[in-house]
Amino acid sequence: MDKTLQEFTSQEYKEGFVTEVEQEFVPKGLNEDIIRTISALKQEPQWLLDFRLDAFRRWQRMPMPQWGHLDMPEIDFQDIIYYAAPKKDADRPKEIDPELEATFEKLGIPLRERKALAGVVAVDAVFDSVSVATTFRQTLAEKGIIFCPFSEAVREHGDLVRKYLASVVPVGDNFYAALNSAVFSDGSFCYIPKGVKCPMELSSYFRINASGTGQFERTLIVADEGASVSYMEGCTAPMRDENQLHAAVVEIVVEKDADVRYSTVQNWYPGDKEGRGGILNLVTKRGLCRGAGAHLSWTQVETGSAITWKYPSTVLQGDHSSSEFYSVAVTNNHQQADTGTKMIHIGRGTRSRIVSKGISAGRSQNSYRGLVRMLPGAENARNFSQCDSLLIGSRCGAHTFPVIRSENPTATVEHEATTSKISEDQLFYCNQRGISPEDAVGLIVNGYAKEVLSRLPMEFAVEAQKLLQVSLEGSVG
Amino acid sequence: MPGHYVDIPVGREGAQVVADRLRQVYILRPGDTCPPLHIVAEKGSRTEVTLVVMPGVDVDIRVDVDLMGEGADLRMAGLYVCGGKERVSVHTRVCHRAPGCSSDQVFTGIAGGGARVAFHGTIVVAPDAQQTQAFQQSRNLLLSQDARVETEPQLEIYADDVKCSHGATVGSLNADEQFYMRSRGVPEAEAKVLQMLSFLSPVLAGLEEKDALAAELEQAIRSIV
Repeated sequence: MDKTLQEFTSQEYKEGFVTEVEQEFVPKGLNEDIIRTISALKQEPQWLLDFRLDAFRRWQRMPMPQWGHLDMPEIDFQDIIYYAAPKKDADRPKEIDPELEATFEKLGIPLRERKALAGVVAVDAVFDSVSVATTFRQTLAEKGIIFCPFSEAVREHGDLVRKYLASVVPVGDNFYAALNSAVFSDGSFCYIPKGVKCPMELSSYFRINASGTGQFERTLIVADEGASVSYMEGCTAPMRDENQLHAAVVEIVVEKDADVRYSTVQNWYPGDKEGRGGILNLVTKRGLCRGAGAHLSWTQVETGSAITWKYPSTVLQGDHSSSEFYSVAVTNNHQQADTGTKMIHIGRGTRSRIVSKGISAGRSQNSYRGLVRMLPGAENARNFSQCDSLLIGSRCGAHTFPVIRSENPTATVEHEATTSKISEDQLFYCNQRGISPEDAVGLIVNGYAKEVLSRLPMEFAVEAQKLLQVSLEGSVG
Repeated sequence: MPGHYVDIPVGREGAQVVADRLRQVYILRPGDTCPPLHIVAEKGSRTEVTLVVMPGVDVDIRVDVDLMGEGADLRMAGLYVCGGKERVSVHTRVCHRAPGCSSDQVFTGIAGGGARVAFHGTIVVAPDAQQTQAFQQSRNLLLSQDARVETEPQLEIYADDVKCSHGATVGSLNADEQFYMRSRGVPEAEAKVLQMLSFLSPVLAGLEEKDALAAELEQAIRSIV
């Protein structure tokens, strides 16, 4: 058994390679000139530059938040390169660098339009600070759907971007959101017009490649009245000994009767077994159910990053709007996660459901932090939350910090949380039937997380299940 | 806030050290105050603490319990009935610092009128406190538009062989139950009183002074319906 264990533990983070491409950078550090340079490189209009500068000035006055249940390393914001892009060849400006295409191919992200596993997925691939390819744009455009890199949206759909940008996550919302608003590079912009059901899954794939850089993506999804869309996001990064910063902002606007499903499989480099390196994933994600009957569903599988600090939230403003949050967060070795959600009930008859499954192994710390708030107008609103933690090994920690506030007598909030470990009995039962300890743990963990995994789109579910197993390798024995 | 376990040494000065058994019932009526409680439970000890907050009391209750000895057991229960302008907050912190300890907390409360009630309960299980069992419940009834309820049940667990859970609810009186009683001729106000009494009863169960308290609570509930 020891041999099997060793083999398993020696398996490495397989997305940890580096792509050798020529890249252009802006100088290290952060000041107004850097922001002007980024804005100029992206040929942005004046209003967006003003937006960035305003955000930067606010950010400078903000203290770095310390309330997370995290041992956060000092981040030197002057020691980060805020913009890195692969160089375009002058002789073939339209085509993608084959090196980049090979990189995404290796990651399992096809940049050529072709049939994927179960149906068609449109992909926007982001490499460091720029989007390198977006597929199926023509097919989508026929339905009036806009799916393109954020910087292109600024140029071609400026009015739409201006209308919705920062309407869900205000510039000064928090320290990292303000930083992102100042220096954000690429991300995806997605607009589904009235009554249109998006015919395929939309997907963004984020890749950090260059060393010493940070990634600051900005994603904006707008589903107009009666529209529906399913959006997936994936991410990986090379293995390095230093921490790299990823501070994204995702905003989702859901209008009347629209339906948005947002799924993430987060697999940033988690650092090595000694806790060296890894991505600091400090992200603000928020959706606004603006119209009546709007629906937003978050599903996340968090297996990567040295530190995860992320609370995908929903503001339920429209009457009878609803939202769900399904999460599996796995931490191993020295990883730390402080993640959860916020459900802010404003409208009448709004409903929300939270299912969070934390799994901690090694010496990791895994926290659920959440807020459920019923405002005075939330007549007959309803929330149910369930937060379970699973501990594997005696040196890790599992924590639960929910906050419940109710200001309406007709609203109902229920929260329950449990913490336990994989019992000897369960393991013995499996071993006895010839299932190895590693496989048994994988089996039990997958069963434990099933309620969440079953919510993922097909393409993601398979990947997520494998990822769970890989993340926990070497945690028993 | 650090991400790892920080061992804060236990100061025994001013603490109630329980070597064998401790049973305490605090009943707070208007004008009463409640000093912060710090209990240190030794090996194999049994501790029971009950807190009852009657209407018209503004109070900030703080209870710290350190389960220091193997196999120590804690039962803590509390209830509050607020129908006016009360400000009631309850902070509990139960630290499991030795293996094999158990703790159970039940807090139920009614907030009507313009009351503000808050419950903050933390359970900490230290790295070597294996075979811990820790449970906590915070159940609240919110009766009026102007009342507010906030509850923060928290778990911080640094050991793996544990069974820990917490539950929290905020809601209103069950309409089906009301209908059941009213269709059998129980007046609406009376039905509400019965519902609230039964809501609070888990805290009273097992108390010697249960009967006298129940009568007093019934009076209190009638005063806020």
